[in-house]
Amino acid sequence: MKGSFNRNAALLLTAGVIVLPMVLPWNMATEILIYAIVAVAANLLLGYSGLLSFGQASFFGFGGYSAGYLLAHYHLPLILPLLVGALAGGFVAAVVGALCIRRTGIYFIMLTFAFNQMFYYLAYQLRTVTGGEDGMTGITRPAIHLPLLPEISLNSDLNFYILIAVIFAVCFAIMFRVVESPFGKIVIAARDNARRAASIGYNVQRAQILMFVISGTITGLAGAIYSMLYWIMPIDSIHWLNSGNIVFMVLIGGTSSPFGPVLGAAIFIWLQDLLSIFWARSLLLFGAVVVAVVLFLQGGVIELFRRAATYLQRRRALVAEAR
Amino acid sequence: MNSSLILAQLLNGIAIGMLYALLAFGLSIIKGLLNIPNFAHGALFACGAYILYSVVQGTGSFWLGILAAALAVGLLGMFIERVAVRRVYGSAYLFQLLLLFGVALMLQEVIIIIWGGVGKSVSPPAYLVGAFNLGVTIYPKYLLFTTLASAVIISGIWLIIEKTRYGAIIRAGIEKKEMVSALGINVDLLFTCAFGLGAGLAAMAGALAVPLVGVTPSMGLDMLAISFVVVVLGGLGSLYGAILAGLIIGVIQSLAALWFPAASTVVIYVVMALILAVRPQGLLGER
Repeated sequence: MKGSFNRNAALLLTAGVIVLPMVLPWNMATEILIYAIVAVAANLLLGYSGLLSFGQASFFGFGGYSAGYLLAHYHLPLILPLLVGALAGGFVAAVVGALCIRRTGIYFIMLTFAFNQMFYYLAYQLRTVTGGEDGMTGITRPAIHLPLLPEISLNSDLNFYILIAVIFAVCFAIMFRVVESPFGKIVIAARDNARRAASIGYNVQRAQILMFVISGTITGLAGAIYSMLYWIMPIDSIHWLNSGNIVFMVLIGGTSSPFGPVLGAAIFIWLQDLLSIFWARSLLLFGAVVVAVVLFLQGGVIELFRRAATYLQRRRALVAEAR
Repeated sequence: MNSSLILAQLLNGIAIGMLYALLAFGLSIIKGLLNIPNFAHGALFACGAYILYSVVQGTGSFWLGILAAALAVGLLGMFIERVAVRRVYGSAYLFQLLLLFGVALMLQEVIIIIWGGVGKSVSPPAYLVGAFNLGVTIYPKYLLFTTLASAVIISGIWLIIEKTRYGAIIRAGIEKKEMVSALGINVDLLFTCAFGLGAGLAAMAGALAVPLVGVTPSMGLDMLAISFVVVVLGGLGSLYGAILAGLIIGVIQSLAALWFPAASTVVIYVVMALILAVRPQGLLGER
């Protein structure tokens, strides 16, 4: 079931990307796509590799800050800051992954968490570069120059959304390919039984670090485009609470399908917006939702769909039998 | 660098390190017995601090405040274990950490609802205000009190764990839960009590920290990261490694504030990375 590509699901996803900005405000729709990239990348580690990374916000933040710095201070073609953001995310992931990989279970979680906190303090202290508590401001959205086409301005909500949608599609396809590749199978095998995978002759730790780098690179890229969304890179985006949010997106969507985290990101962004309208202390409600999901819906929302599908199938079979 | 200043920071670091040790000892007990990542540990620390604040405001008694913090948060921990944590023992770590992450968010928001979002401060009891003059440097009385109180509490728990029947059950539970349960011991109750004990230790650390750092709703967030660093450094499966690591981290943090004041928050993580690169199993880790 894991990773099997469902054509209907892919069509549904495409339809979702098109419909999203029609029913939600532009910013919210764009943010959902960005966090969908982040959540799918997190699922590469949490779901497929069984590596319980609680530090995804460090890759996101590092990518966002490095791209944001270039976007705020230099006039470069768009591709460069995005590339630098992705590389920065991948670099941090390589360092964190290599240092944490020798531990397993709870210690692994604690370590990724502790490093996340270190990068947060780093961003907090390097005020001159990152803007500290106020966030990094003055970030621009450079126009895109393609041959034979007029200049495309990203200051239009529609154009920016289309760019993010294209990046989302490319990232999703890459990650899907990674999971289906022989390399992906090694990582999945190592999750299920690390010792056996190693004894067959695979270098498990190297494969896992590589997976960290892939996840970190894509998360860094997502951070880079996030810095352009609101023209600011807020310090909250590198805080460990954001790592917690990312883990929550993956789990509420469901880890058992590549589409689960996408759904999870959409639900999270929508829920956060909804709850904050209700009450200034919306985090209390959010915490309660987190607890409720863990206690009652461990398969995530995608599990609900599956339950409904099995129920319908059974009913259809019963009806057919009755005839 | 002035040597009296270094000595002052060293003493300061020992006091803070003892608080870290107390906090991480609680986390270590929960990790050892229940094998769950307690992401609510920082929030329980903050709860302890706020309860002390309220009791001191209401009754003026600092001692009563510490006692009330330990008892109330201990009970709160037992309640959390009973209604929520218990139900995810069979689940993956990911669900356990998310559950406690949710609990931590709720606790932090409840604190803001009850006590407001603005930080507050409490001064130590009158007989602990002031400082000893050691000749080369002055030593604030409250720092000495924090160090001694933490040491007494840790020693007390150590005695219970190493020398009493209940402690034997706890140690056996860490070693092999199934066997303990087969011997007719109520493991469910043991787990509830262990979570309560861990929460109570966090609360006492929080209460003792109040005269030093005051109370703010987000105080638990920073402490959570530090307690994780301390437990990881302490070592795999080591109950007491956390105490040694706590002291080391406290001292390093205080001394770093002398030479690199801007980086003192980052330094402990760098130290953690360096130690783990050399000794992946932690200071007192077995493997």
